[in-house]
Amino acid sequence: MHELLLYGQVPRSRHEQVLKVLAGVAAMQPRRVLQRHIVYKPTREPEEPGSNIRRGGTQAVAVKNTKQTPPKDLNFSQLVQKLSDEEFGSHSNGPPAALTANGASAAEAKWSMVFNETPDTTDRGVLTRLAQTTDITSGDPHAYMVAGRHQFVSEYYVEGHRFVHENVVILFHRVLHEPGVRSLETAPKEVLPTFEALQSLDPSGAYILEAKIRVQDLNNLTVLEAGVSELKRFQTQMKGCVELAVPDRLSLDTRVKYKPKTA
Amino acid sequence: MSGAGPSASVALRPWPAPQKEAIPPADLFSRVHQLTIERGHLRSITEKSLQDDIDTGKDVATDIVEGVEQSQKKDAPTRQERVQEIAQKQVEMYQALDWASFAAGNALDLVAQLLSRDPVKNLDASFSEKYKQQRVPKGSFGLDKGAPPDRSDEKEEQQRIQDTEKRRQLVARGSRMEALEWSTDSFLKAAGQLQTEVHKETTYWNEIMSISQRGWSLQRFGRESRNSPFAVRYGFAEASDHFKARGLAPLRMSKDGSIILDPTLALKPKTLRVRISDSGKVVGTSCLPTQGQTTDVAVERSIQLARDSLFEEELYHEISLETRQLLAYGVELRNSVIHLQAPGPDPNFTDRKVLIDCIARDDETLGSQDQSENWMAQNVAEALRLLLTHEHRMRLFRRSQLPSPLTKQKSARTNPPLLRTLLAAFYHLNAVDSLQAYLARVASVLNSAGLRVSLQTTRETTWVSLTNLIAESTKKDLSATDQLLEVFTKPFDGLATLSLPSNELQPEKITIATRTYIGAPTFGAEHKVTLPPSLVSVLSLSQDQKREFKFPTTEEVTSYLDWVLSLDLSHTLLTKEYGRRAVIMSKDPHISVICKEGKERVQKDVSIQLADGKLSVTVGSNIPPENVYAEQSCTWDGTKGEPALKDKLKSWVG
Repeated sequence: MHELLLYGQVPRSRHEQVLKVLAGVAAMQPRRVLQRHIVYKPTREPEEPGSNIRRGGTQAVAVKNTKQTPPKDLNFSQLVQKLSDEEFGSHSNGPPAALTANGASAAEAKWSMVFNETPDTTDRGVLTRLAQTTDITSGDPHAYMVAGRHQFVSEYYVEGHRFVHENVVILFHRVLHEPGVRSLETAPKEVLPTFEALQSLDPSGAYILEAKIRVQDLNNLTVLEAGVSELKRFQTQMKGCVELAVPDRLSLDTRVKYKPKTA
Repeated sequence: MSGAGPSASVALRPWPAPQKEAIPPADLFSRVHQLTIERGHLRSITEKSLQDDIDTGKDVATDIVEGVEQSQKKDAPTRQERVQEIAQKQVEMYQALDWASFAAGNALDLVAQLLSRDPVKNLDASFSEKYKQQRVPKGSFGLDKGAPPDRSDEKEEQQRIQDTEKRRQLVARGSRMEALEWSTDSFLKAAGQLQTEVHKETTYWNEIMSISQRGWSLQRFGRESRNSPFAVRYGFAEASDHFKARGLAPLRMSKDGSIILDPTLALKPKTLRVRISDSGKVVGTSCLPTQGQTTDVAVERSIQLARDSLFEEELYHEISLETRQLLAYGVELRNSVIHLQAPGPDPNFTDRKVLIDCIARDDETLGSQDQSENWMAQNVAEALRLLLTHEHRMRLFRRSQLPSPLTKQKSARTNPPLLRTLLAAFYHLNAVDSLQAYLARVASVLNSAGLRVSLQTTRETTWVSLTNLIAESTKKDLSATDQLLEVFTKPFDGLATLSLPSNELQPEKITIATRTYIGAPTFGAEHKVTLPPSLVSVLSLSQDQKREFKFPTTEEVTSYLDWVLSLDLSHTLLTKEYGRRAVIMSKDPHISVICKEGKERVQKDVSIQLADGKLSVTVGSNIPPENVYAEQSCTWDGTKGEPALKDKLKSWVG
């Protein structure tokens, strides 16, 4: 699955106003979104460049025809947990159940694994990137990630509102984090901090407006064009209220910088 | 000529002499000419020499003499004189023309000389030849505007100035009066206009306010903003496109400020009418939807009516679209009336129909005297309205969900199931009720025959646990009303269990599940009978066969149940009762019991029939001495006090 993306920034003072404008545009009430994102880094070695070329003496004549594939990058991936207001800072609720996934169906799943690739280089006026979301309906997601040779990096929270305008998913949010504890953590918190203890990552408290259209297949040009034009239409519609723009694609880079281990 | 305004200051003529001595230029020329003729030249004509001449009386006499002569000659001009006169006139004319061309040439030269200050202008062609020869340097002649010489000391001038001043004052006063009068008039007019404007605005805003306070949503109206700055939105946000567009009416201002009814608001309000007809006779009509708070303002009332009408029209529109899919169910659209077959539980009225149409609201609908089914018509109408409102809310709900990724497949818009739900409810209730009536009768008949059977029936399984369902629901986004109504759009499931009479201690049960859905796979009501294992052997079914049988109509399921129950009675109950003496002869509910009467072994045929809500047992036997076939029978139809089946049989068979 691919995502078409546009981003805009709204200062905190205009948050209320933009929220109302968006409610009018989408003709629906905003839905509150609270998420915890846990970032993981793969610990395995990337495939060695050119490892598919056989070395040593070989009888194969067709060696020349082997394509030189570039080395595959390793990317950070995330676990996303849907939260509600009550879940913050609830110590008294018996054993911490924060790290078990449950949910009868995918629609009700609390946890999901999100993998986003670095946006591709094509210029369509919108960002395009490969994105995979896998809903986790049971088990311990953290244990699963660790077992898949991932290493916990950090966690942050996303607070905001979501709108759906035809096919455009509008997430009007800001990123929150718990100040000061980031470097000390080695595993995601089992007991969530209180909501008041979280601070906006951007000290000015500005909000981010993310407009997203999901496209199943980029190879189908008609569908892609329809998606791009719909997103651009939304961009024009919001002109004067929020300037939606294409950010630098490398600011959404999820690749892991690989340092070969010194022997 | 004198004292002309400063605008006439291009003085290309000689400065005028004082009036007394002034000689007009035309006269001057003739005077000069005269002098030339008299004296031969202009030289030495001075005041003094003329005075001398006057004193000496030199020319006076000749002048007089000439004058006399001329007057004498005038009497009869001769030809010669005429020629002379013409020649003279010719000379005069030439002289005048000479003068004119001379003066014009001078003027042209002067103007050209003046203009020659500007080096850009090429003026060579404008100078006369004579002037060019003089070689006057270009731009050597200047022109300046100066104040006219002060002549206020002259009395006449003073008088004139005073007069002018007086006149001017008079005129000024007059015009000032006039202007003041005019401005008073326009002030008054403006005041009047302002007053009407204020009145207009006040009326308009009062009405707007009262509309707004009633909870109608107002919005700014871009186009035609002068006359109708606001529009009222009374339509439903989630209505289908056509009706959504109709849900907006501009609030225009009339001449006196009240709001003009927009054509869309002034349309005849319509309403949905539901009638129940039994074999062509209307026996029930739905009444008008209740009116909300009545208001004095006509606009509010018409907005409300328009809103109601819009809703009803959309409802009718959706229903009539839906009829096209439902032709197979006997739904027809005839003369814009929707005919819906609604089989009622009462067997006398099999030809019951629901008629739905959309009529003008103020149409008199008192068509029938019989009002017995009004409740049903009313309920049908309300149900349809509720279902459409539910559909509206569900549209918002579906819209707010995360959309699926874009693909080639376009998601087709489906019609809301309004009639389908109604039909399904009719079919289901009909099927379940007739089945339950049958089962209740069977149970009472069997009970009256001394057989213990228990019956449990549920019309719809989810309706029973509806409150729990809503209370335990995890869907936060849907309101309880919508969850309640959503139950109706799903297939209906009725359930009935009847225990078999054969085994009283460990009763086995027949389960009859009724499932109704307008659409695949059942296309209506369907009964599914699940048989208990004990019946499998009776019916000699193979073990791995499903013990489920599906029947599309109630008649089929009742006749099947009749047969199965009779079989159970004969093949299971009686064989248990008589043990080895009972012989199963066929697959019909007949058994033969061999009894000993005296020394003879008599075979008695016992047949059990359960049909039409009656249980009858017939015992036939060949009575030995004459081998006469004799029959004894007994029938139970549910009345109490009858002897039990077993006792009866015992008395006959032994």
